[in-house]
Amino acid sequence: MSWELFLDPSLLRLAVAMSVPLVLASAGELLMERSGLLNVAIEGMVTLGAAAAFLASFAAGSTGLGMLAAALSGVVVAAVFAHYAVAWRQEQVTVGLTLYVLCLGLSSLLYRVVVGVRLTPPRVETLQPVVLPVLGWLPVVGEVLFHQHALVYLSAAVVAVVHLVLFRTSLGLRLRAVGENPVAADTVGVDVFRLRKAAAAAGGALVGLAGASLPFTLTGTFTEGIAGGRGWIALMLVIFGRWTPVGAAAGALLFAYVEALQFKLAMVSRAVPPQFLQMLPYAFAVAVLVRASRGARAPEALGKPYHREARA
Amino acid sequence: MRRLLWLLLAILVVAGPSGAGPARPRMAMILPGVIQDADFNAVGYQALKEVQSTTGVQTGHSEQVAVADAERVAREYLGAGYSIVAFHGGQYLTIVQKLAPLFPDATFIMESSGQIPSLPGNVWNIGRKFYEGFYVLGVLGALATRSNKIGYIAGIRLPDFVASLNAVFQAVGKYNPRAEVLYTFVGDQNDPVKARQAAESQIAAGVDFIVISVNLGTVGVIEAARAARRPVLLTTFYTDKSSYAPQHFTTSLVSNFGKPYVEVVRQILAGRRSGYYEMRPGAGFGLTPPRNVPPEVSRRVQEVWRAVVLRQERIEEVTDRIVERR
Repeated sequence: MSWELFLDPSLLRLAVAMSVPLVLASAGELLMERSGLLNVAIEGMVTLGAAAAFLASFAAGSTGLGMLAAALSGVVVAAVFAHYAVAWRQEQVTVGLTLYVLCLGLSSLLYRVVVGVRLTPPRVETLQPVVLPVLGWLPVVGEVLFHQHALVYLSAAVVAVVHLVLFRTSLGLRLRAVGENPVAADTVGVDVFRLRKAAAAAGGALVGLAGASLPFTLTGTFTEGIAGGRGWIALMLVIFGRWTPVGAAAGALLFAYVEALQFKLAMVSRAVPPQFLQMLPYAFAVAVLVRASRGARAPEALGKPYHREARA
Repeated sequence: MRRLLWLLLAILVVAGPSGAGPARPRMAMILPGVIQDADFNAVGYQALKEVQSTTGVQTGHSEQVAVADAERVAREYLGAGYSIVAFHGGQYLTIVQKLAPLFPDATFIMESSGQIPSLPGNVWNIGRKFYEGFYVLGVLGALATRSNKIGYIAGIRLPDFVASLNAVFQAVGKYNPRAEVLYTFVGDQNDPVKARQAAESQIAAGVDFIVISVNLGTVGVIEAARAARRPVLLTTFYTDKSSYAPQHFTTSLVSNFGKPYVEVVRQILAGRRSGYYEMRPGAGFGLTPPRNVPPEVSRRVQEVWRAVVLRQERIEEVTDRIVERR
């Protein structure tokens, strides 16, 4: 087995493309967690986003509308989550798990109502690669990074924007303060409830878009279980990235690389059982997470409902 | 007057049941996936509807039933008065073997890769000889490939799919010994994302002809073929998906489960409660005319198909291991 296999440009290009749903979902989850909201409905939201994107695009024939529908579906679910978690101060993990199950069922129901039973799977047009001028002409790097579809560039922009907003703006400072010490933030006039709801909505839109990336870039259709655990992985990536967007995106790229690598290895090595190779990305995720989470510190108020009248 | 009313009532009570006729038997089908998969489960559901319309039995079905849940679901149907329970999929064998002796008044229909010795006396077995059809797909790949690299993408390592892969190896070994077969088991029949990753890896390795052996995963392979920078030809099975990617599909090994299920249910209704029905090329499996290949390749493949139908082509069935031929 040659080492060139591990740096094969086609493998790297695939890994970058495969990282998009993870990058977008982890950026959305990170926004929520930074405000103190632990949303474990993310796997269901990704699935619902994929269903909404596919069905809207299938019905209207527009990828743009599909994206909008996916983002809206994420906002709606996140708004419900925020209402329970922020306004009604319910236990966030319980609410999140309930919404997760609801989203899975709803996405399946919507698909069945709109599409029904067919012998030919319906499909929508997938996004085609866009070669960036100049950058796309670079050897190797150009092919790996700049021969990608639009959502790859969008996800890179999202990471940059989320990073800048969180760490370079007063809004980001207030958001982080709300996630760390809502009492202190409230004392200096920050509207904790409003900011948490806004973070949930923005994060929900990104998670919905993560779902849209699956039918629009990879499959051209919707299938039950299309998220394939990517929501849960995104949840892990936030911890892996130590609650920074760049760190989470790096983790997403790494995971997508190992995921793509398993199929390369499966072709060249018959000695390793395929079941072991299929397990590889997840075993890798656990191993890396154990290492990376050492010394990582979650936002102090993560998962804790804020009660203005409660004594500190 | 009152006596007359009682008499009328008595007549109604006595005449009622015989006027309604005997209760129609009910048949339940247990499916491993969703019926809108446009593939294996959709054709199973279609077969169930065909049974209903042609034999008059009432039907019910349950989707996405994992093997671990199948016994519970089957017991619920049996408790609700269903007298025929069909398991659409080869993974339910042990459940049938367990339940059939416990419910001697019910009849079970199962699917497998062939004859199974000493099944209980109330079990019908539908043997599916996919490998014979895949042999022909392998012949098509051997004759149509230009890079001499043929891909095979499967989901779960079930005996059916192992035998089908071995049949592809045999076909390629006989019709184009210079060609190589690259295969991947992605671990899931219905995950288009994994199937696409596997297909992209194979295409990057030079494959220009892919034999698809996944269900919903097919759409992922199609997307990989569409995104490829050089032409990649595909085959699929269960349903004809050529309209999905007309420039990539060559042929489909289509299945008609309606025929065996209707025949088996008719036999059950006639009182024959066990037996074996074999699905194979020409009996439940058909081949759509090859396209996107030279006419001589299409003609040769159809000749091989006819030979397989008539059992004139020798194909070894190996279900327990992969016999690579390079």
